[in-house]
Amino acid sequence: MVDVEIRRDRIIIRYKGKKWDWILEPRYWRNTLIWSAFLVLFPIISYFVSPILLNTVISANLYAAIAIPLALMTLGTGRMNFGPNFFIGVGGYTAALLSIAYGWGPLATLPFAIIACLLSALLFSPLVIVARGLYYVLLTLLLPLVFLEITFIYTDTFKGDVGLAGVKTLVSTGMVKLNFLIAAFISMFIMLLYLWVVNKVIKSRYGLIMAAINDGEEVAHGIGVNINKVKILAFVFASGMIGIIGWFYAHYFGTFAGITYLPLSFMIKILLVIFIGGRAQVFGCIAGGYFIAFLEMILIVTMGPIQPVVFAVILTVLLFALPEGLFGLYRKRRYREYMPTLHVRR
Amino acid sequence: MSEILKVRNVTKSFGGLTAVHDLSFDIRRGETVGLIGPNGAGKTTLINVLCGSLYTDRGEIEMEGKMITRIPPHKRCHLGLSRTYQIPRPFPELTALMSVVTGALCGKNRVNRGLDDAGAEATHYLEFVGLFSKRNILARDLTFFELRMLELARALATSPKILFVDEVMAGLNPGEATKAVRLIARAKEEFGLTIFWIEHVMAVLMEAAERIIAIQFGEKIAEGTPEEISNNDTVIEAYLGAGWKKGTCN
Repeated sequence: MVDVEIRRDRIIIRYKGKKWDWILEPRYWRNTLIWSAFLVLFPIISYFVSPILLNTVISANLYAAIAIPLALMTLGTGRMNFGPNFFIGVGGYTAALLSIAYGWGPLATLPFAIIACLLSALLFSPLVIVARGLYYVLLTLLLPLVFLEITFIYTDTFKGDVGLAGVKTLVSTGMVKLNFLIAAFISMFIMLLYLWVVNKVIKSRYGLIMAAINDGEEVAHGIGVNINKVKILAFVFASGMIGIIGWFYAHYFGTFAGITYLPLSFMIKILLVIFIGGRAQVFGCIAGGYFIAFLEMILIVTMGPIQPVVFAVILTVLLFALPEGLFGLYRKRRYREYMPTLHVRR
Repeated sequence: MSEILKVRNVTKSFGGLTAVHDLSFDIRRGETVGLIGPNGAGKTTLINVLCGSLYTDRGEIEMEGKMITRIPPHKRCHLGLSRTYQIPRPFPELTALMSVVTGALCGKNRVNRGLDDAGAEATHYLEFVGLFSKRNILARDLTFFELRMLELARALATSPKILFVDEVMAGLNPGEATKAVRLIARAKEEFGLTIFWIEHVMAVLMEAAERIIAIQFGEKIAEGTPEEISNNDTVIEAYLGAGWKKGTCN
């Protein structure tokens, strides 16, 4: 079975003729730890200074937690999925419907939400093989919109226009402020977990294989990469991760309405998180998530009804001004190789 | 020498156009076989069919006793088939080292090979083709000759038994072309390869190939040693036209 060998600088895992090296790189952990500590402290400070910020922090965490798996999906399939919010809908509706029908709490609905997302992703996974380019974009763009129509057509079940209410809440301590704080930490935990997992995958052999698929699918196929397997795995795995955010939305608000998450406006926000963060860079997704969530909040407070227009103008300017994204600015200053350079004694 | 690859009555059509028609030949272990033909004769289509990028309409391909007619490209690679492309197709966003690592990681000897092991293996092939000093440069920033060499290294990293070389001389100057030819000959010796070589430059195949197959309009018109092929009337006619043979051309 799985054979795990722990060495001083790495963990080696062997399974069925495959070998994974997980290199432990403490010298590269400093900045990550500093930023994580900042992220953890921020909700605590908000709790005492301005509790209303907690809601924005949660939104930011969730935007980032959707964008991170989407970055993995983009890399692994070599295609840009324009309908990740479809899986938010699947996860959210599964959790909400089960919670309302059987009175289940969040922990009971979580596995079903994940299974529903994985199955629906598996059902639509042939898209990553048969469609490419503009066709893939259009097909994935249609998925959430068709789902939204379905929620309207079967409004008895999905309550398309008003949303499902009465979902058991994620935390109920009896103190509203504390509920928000705990929800903020749960969302942050999910986001950081996603960041860690996806970063590990991207740095592993599968990350390299995905990069090869991204650069030249047919060539990768010709040098022994089972591209269909990798693409389907990336699609299904990332979809499951995105679906969990739908589950979170349903239990966090206690309601779930497809009209909030399935339209184009929500999807565009997620795509902007990816591009403002830095062209599908996983660390950039967090910068992008916080930037978009806080910019949106500030504009709502200051601009009133013209907020959507100003929001769009600012983001369009940023897309031109920062083609490498926010993380690109940081990366330009602190460039690091994809993998530590090999030094061969000659 | 035993046959490593048997091709039997392979036909491939695109709509009304038959690119390869009823083609049969054998490749023996350890030999260098050349494939020549005028432009549009179906040479690259044949390599695409043999490597699995395209499937045959009719006919069979057998490698070391195993039918591979319908198996996908990655499985053919795992059996020991590898190729280079007529126009280099690098992974532009990967460094030279990482491009070769991918080949080493997914090729024939992929079992129980981690990313680091593949990295060590890849440096060997990069050094072999003379790109070790360029290992950390993105493939998109390499010159045309370096891209050709990178493709060769990437193909060799999959530990092939048969290497399909598709017009390696195209776009190279005479000095680079000589280097490339010598390198392929060295690779054959060092790694015990069988080479199937498409080339337009006859002088190269006259020197390197032990046997040459000539095709025109997807059909085999001649097969034999380089001397036999260079004196074959049908081949001369296919390349230079019927007028040349009659002595009417100047």
